[in-house]
Amino acid sequence: MIITKNISKNFGSFQALSDVSFEINKGEIVGFLGTNGAGKTTLMRILTSFLPASTGTVLIDGIDTAKHSLITRKKIGYLPETPPLYLNMTVKDYLKFAAEIKGIPAKNRRRQFDSVMAECQLEHMAGKTIATLSKGYKQRVGIAQAIIHEPKLLILDEPTSGLDPIQNLQVRNLIKNLKDQRTVIISTHILSEIEHIAQRVLMIKSGKIIIDESLDSLMRSYSIDGNNSKGNSQSREMNLEDIFIHHHSDKNKDQENDDMDSSVVNHNG
Amino acid sequence: MDKIYFIAKKELLTYFKSPIAYITLVLSISIFNVFFFIIIDQNREVSLRDVFHVMEFMFLFLVPIMTMRLFSEEKSSGTMEFLMTAPVTNMAIVLGKYLGVLVFFSILLSFTLIYFAIIEFFGSPDRATVVSGYIGVWLEGAFFIAVGMMTSSWTRNQIIAAMMSYVILFLLYFLINFTKYFSGEAETLIQYMSTLTHLEHFIVGVITVGDLVYYLSGIFICIVFTRLSIENRMFK
Repeated sequence: MIITKNISKNFGSFQALSDVSFEINKGEIVGFLGTNGAGKTTLMRILTSFLPASTGTVLIDGIDTAKHSLITRKKIGYLPETPPLYLNMTVKDYLKFAAEIKGIPAKNRRRQFDSVMAECQLEHMAGKTIATLSKGYKQRVGIAQAIIHEPKLLILDEPTSGLDPIQNLQVRNLIKNLKDQRTVIISTHILSEIEHIAQRVLMIKSGKIIIDESLDSLMRSYSIDGNNSKGNSQSREMNLEDIFIHHHSDKNKDQENDDMDSSVVNHNG
Repeated sequence: MDKIYFIAKKELLTYFKSPIAYITLVLSISIFNVFFFIIIDQNREVSLRDVFHVMEFMFLFLVPIMTMRLFSEEKSSGTMEFLMTAPVTNMAIVLGKYLGVLVFFSILLSFTLIYFAIIEFFGSPDRATVVSGYIGVWLEGAFFIAVGMMTSSWTRNQIIAAMMSYVILFLLYFLINFTKYFSGEAETLIQYMSTLTHLEHFIVGVITVGDLVYYLSGIFICIVFTRLSIENRMFK
């Protein structure tokens, strides 16, 4: 579905991405993990053709996004970090515009509109002005515009960022339902989200991919089996948060052989 | 083509969903009405010549207000990402937005056709001159809109976009006053660059190829620069 080869992106002298290569197969649910500023959003913007890569190529279904972006854009549904909403439009008018601009034939627009309204549970919000909606509903409208043209690839940039726990759960459930039919890339630094949704993790640090593994394999490879600092024997698996902190902690980087690392004895990655 | 239409329709809808459209319409028409009656009362002639001059001057102030949000707002609100990742060309986005404001401007201008009806009712105006005057004012408005759209694509701040429009439009408008400092080809060039020179021809009923080329090439250049500007993603 997606092949990226040696993607780099420079903003002036700052290198946001460096030599990023990976493949994502059809139907995979992949989580982009990384701290703020790691390069997740830049990578997503390159995949969606919003930004051109400085070097390298992105192929979606074998089509080069730099040369034929109008074709590849039809295959992608994208929810940016800030939902791209026209606040003074009603939900209905906005989704109607999204359907038009995304090239859905006139005869199918009504069906598609009804379908996403139901899927995102927005039926009772159709006539409301977007500005008056809660953050959770705004996020749903953002997701609705991303899926209205039935894209094969869904790219979601921090879809639950800033939501309260209830809204978070609702949006997460919505994404869970969407993933059954599509290839999904989700970027987040909320690690439990990845644990609940993704099958595979791409961890990005300073514009480079430092981990590209399936979630199960990653958890297995980072099992703790050894003695803790008090000398008590223990055996448990690290969760994704531990792995994330391990890879992003400067202390760990500087002290490769300290307590933490000495206990991570079974890392096969 | 249909994407251009959808974007234009959305722009027009956005105008009428915000107070800007109504404030602009009411303010413009009120000012035009006042000046129309003052001019007719003073001149005592069945001509819209001076009304066109007032319109031109007022559009210098009004058009940047109409255009300042076109791209600035999209950039600041994040909807630019929505537009530019949709399967639509950058040129279609630019033309759609341009067309949306142009239709709004045309609606505004159409309200002033009542002046034509009034002078037609009370006298026998030179219809051809009135028509050519309206064509000139419309073309000038279309050019101003293109300038305003271009400056809106340069920044995410609407106020800065409007300010840049004012600088360019005032420069084009008052350029004619600087001809006395130049001679020869420079003087001719400055005369040609000034918007006043060209509208004056339309207002007196003369439509020349040079005037049409001035407005149409100005619109074309601004549209091309707008497209180049939105293609340069450095704005993010």
